[in-house]
Amino acid sequence: MDQLQLLTWARGNGLNLALTIFVLGVIWRLIEIYGLGRKPDLSAPRDVPGASGWHTIFRRSVPPPGMFKTSPVSYLGGYVFHVGLAVVVFLFAPHIELIKNLLGVAWPGLPSQMVDFITVVTMAALVVVLIDRITKPVKRFLSTFGDWFTWALTFLPLLTGWLAVHHLLLPYTLMLALHILSVELLLICLPFTKLFHAFTAFGSRWYNGTVNGHKGVPV
Amino acid sequence: MTISNDKEFKAALTKLDDGERRRVATLLVQQVFDLSGDPRVKGGLELAGRADVGSAELAVAAAGVNTARVESYTQCGRDTDWAAQASHFVARAAQECVRPVVDLAAAWEAAMQARMARMCKTLTAGEGTDNREAEAQYQTLDAFLKAKGSGS
Amino acid sequence: MSASLDKGVRVLKEIIDAPIASYFSSCVHCGLCAEACLFYTETGDPKYTPIHKLEPLRRIYDQEYTLLGRLAKLVGLSKPVTDAELAEWQELVYNSCTLCGRCSVVCPVGNDIAYMVRKIREGMSASGNAPDGLKGAVTRTVNIGSPMGIKLPAVKAQMKHVEADYGIAIPLDQEGAEYLVMLSSMEIINFPEYLGAIAKIMRHAGKTWTLCSEAFEATNAGMQIGNSDLARVIVKRIVDGAEKLKVKTVISPECGHAYTALRWEGANLIGRPFGFKVQHIIEVLEEFRLAGLLKTEGMETDRLTFHDPCQLARRGGVIQPQRNLMAMIAKDFHEMPDAGFMNWCCGGGGGASAIEEGEELRLEAFKKKKSQLDAVKPKRLVTACANCRIVIEEGLEHYQMNVPVVGLTETIAEHLPDSVGNE
Repeated sequence: MDQLQLLTWARGNGLNLALTIFVLGVIWRLIEIYGLGRKPDLSAPRDVPGASGWHTIFRRSVPPPGMFKTSPVSYLGGYVFHVGLAVVVFLFAPHIELIKNLLGVAWPGLPSQMVDFITVVTMAALVVVLIDRITKPVKRFLSTFGDWFTWALTFLPLLTGWLAVHHLLLPYTLMLALHILSVELLLICLPFTKLFHAFTAFGSRWYNGTVNGHKGVPV
Repeated sequence: MTISNDKEFKAALTKLDDGERRRVATLLVQQVFDLSGDPRVKGGLELAGRADVGSAELAVAAAGVNTARVESYTQCGRDTDWAAQASHFVARAAQECVRPVVDLAAAWEAAMQARMARMCKTLTAGEGTDNREAEAQYQTLDAFLKAKGSGS
Repeated sequence: MSASLDKGVRVLKEIIDAPIASYFSSCVHCGLCAEACLFYTETGDPKYTPIHKLEPLRRIYDQEYTLLGRLAKLVGLSKPVTDAELAEWQELVYNSCTLCGRCSVVCPVGNDIAYMVRKIREGMSASGNAPDGLKGAVTRTVNIGSPMGIKLPAVKAQMKHVEADYGIAIPLDQEGAEYLVMLSSMEIINFPEYLGAIAKIMRHAGKTWTLCSEAFEATNAGMQIGNSDLARVIVKRIVDGAEKLKVKTVISPECGHAYTALRWEGANLIGRPFGFKVQHIIEVLEEFRLAGLLKTEGMETDRLTFHDPCQLARRGGVIQPQRNLMAMIAKDFHEMPDAGFMNWCCGGGGGASAIEEGEELRLEAFKKKKSQLDAVKPKRLVTACANCRIVIEEGLEHYQMNVPVVGLTETIAEHLPDSVGNE
């Protein structure tokens, strides 16, 4: 198989396969988790405005009082690479083009130099949080194969995409194929790794906020 | 007049000066000291019983009595040993005696904590809640007033 | 697999619900929960990281409730939970966790880790891996009715003592009273002045109240060890007493976990909503204050601060009332850093203070509370939980800090007319 065949496969059957597994995987995991249900709370609630599951979904993105200074890298690094990823994925013209072909919706993108810069910043942030994970005792203690693997899964699409755009390291066709394949790998693994927090963080924050909101504590 | 109830007991305490109240409180606590035996409490009571005790000495004694008090708490979830708990109340009573100033509230508190200590003892012995500590305290105060009246 | 491990694993499987599944699926190993936990911050030992305390439960979740996990188990690629592992986890689940809930408040993905620790305790206790001190408390609760072995004669002794001290009669088993007052063993044993304060306050506010001879104990050892069946028995006893005496409100005493057990878990344990209100004494005092029923006299003039019990404030939702009450009687009140719902635990709740072998760890964790006090430098500390009081006093004693600790209810009572010395 030559580069072009690889690229064609990646763009065609590969993408279809990956998207199918991704969508089915997400649906399966959501059912697997939320289908377990929970018992209703029969205790009398305390009604306090601003304390609810929905509030917590948003509020939990802000560090609680006193926490930022305990681990600024976790918060800053986390914000930068999450926002960076969102910008690169959803505001880069070729990506918007792909989404338009798949779903029929489109929106204006950012200038490519800006996306380029943000990509570099995002990769840098990922490297910083990797180093943090290696050097901080608690993170190192908690880390398993899954943490390193998912880091690579997240980093590779950024790296290969950036290299492809700059025509670096490998011939463009091959680099692009690798980029798309790395995204496809990310997609099929996402529902079955900690990356699934992309979906469940909302559910978890909602449960947490609901339980505490019931007691009248805005969390 | 012989004291026969708490109202008269409190009224008699009010008429004393701080130093006298300290000495009375000390006597009341010494009456239940056998339920404790703690040397820090003993030392504190001995000091407090002296007419010429100074505030610095009291402060040192107070620290020791406080430690005895904190160490003798029954911690949450542990089995209650009422005999040991009695020593806690003796320490609390003794704490009132080594305060810089022993006003009516402190003297009354010492008396009540001493009665509580006695109650712990009777609970342990299975004798229920009745005890004659209140009467014993009235007699002690009576004797103190009589000695004061005839001595001065 | 031993019979008790079997039982433990079965219970661990049963307690997993959608929230727990969501929490395990969301954890990204960021370690921020450790930064919120005083057992980690004061020891620096990563094993005290809150989410790590759940590791056996996480594996059971994985192996029993996820497709890949089940497949792995089928082909022998998964690591089963063992007796030895549960025994090793006892220290993490009990000694180094008071269910204070700070971790649950900081987790960026929203995990309620304290909830999970509460649940894993069900499996730990079912498999026999709970600390001896707690097991003893449970046995005493089952056999005697109180985790500290308090029987009705002891309560009656307290009543008698308080009646003599305050000159107020203590009602027992009065049907139709508005309030049923619960006590914790700690108050009965260590702080009889709490009952006296209640009597004084109720008389002052003109409210009817009563104790119940069949249900005086509020402490819930079942909740602390993780035995819902026992927790249910204790709550049921209170519910029966409250319904028999037809009271409107049951007052939970100055004890943190008793409030959580009755107010938030109670109805769920017995499977139906309560027909009466449950309030912490601080909530009742606040209601009295708002209704103008507390006419306090005088103020405390020394520099005071307040320690928010975790189960009352962060986990209970009672955060402002204690501040309003302090404002009534404290001229020189100062909040400690992180006061209110982010307050640091005293280190002794959730059954921790009953665990003798955990004392060294607790004293080390106390350095966090010490740092708060070093910052605010109070003359005295006020709080609203009998266990916090003693744990803090022991910590202060250990670090040679001279800061007396008092209860809020009794301080309010002291500022009501008819106190000793005003006669």
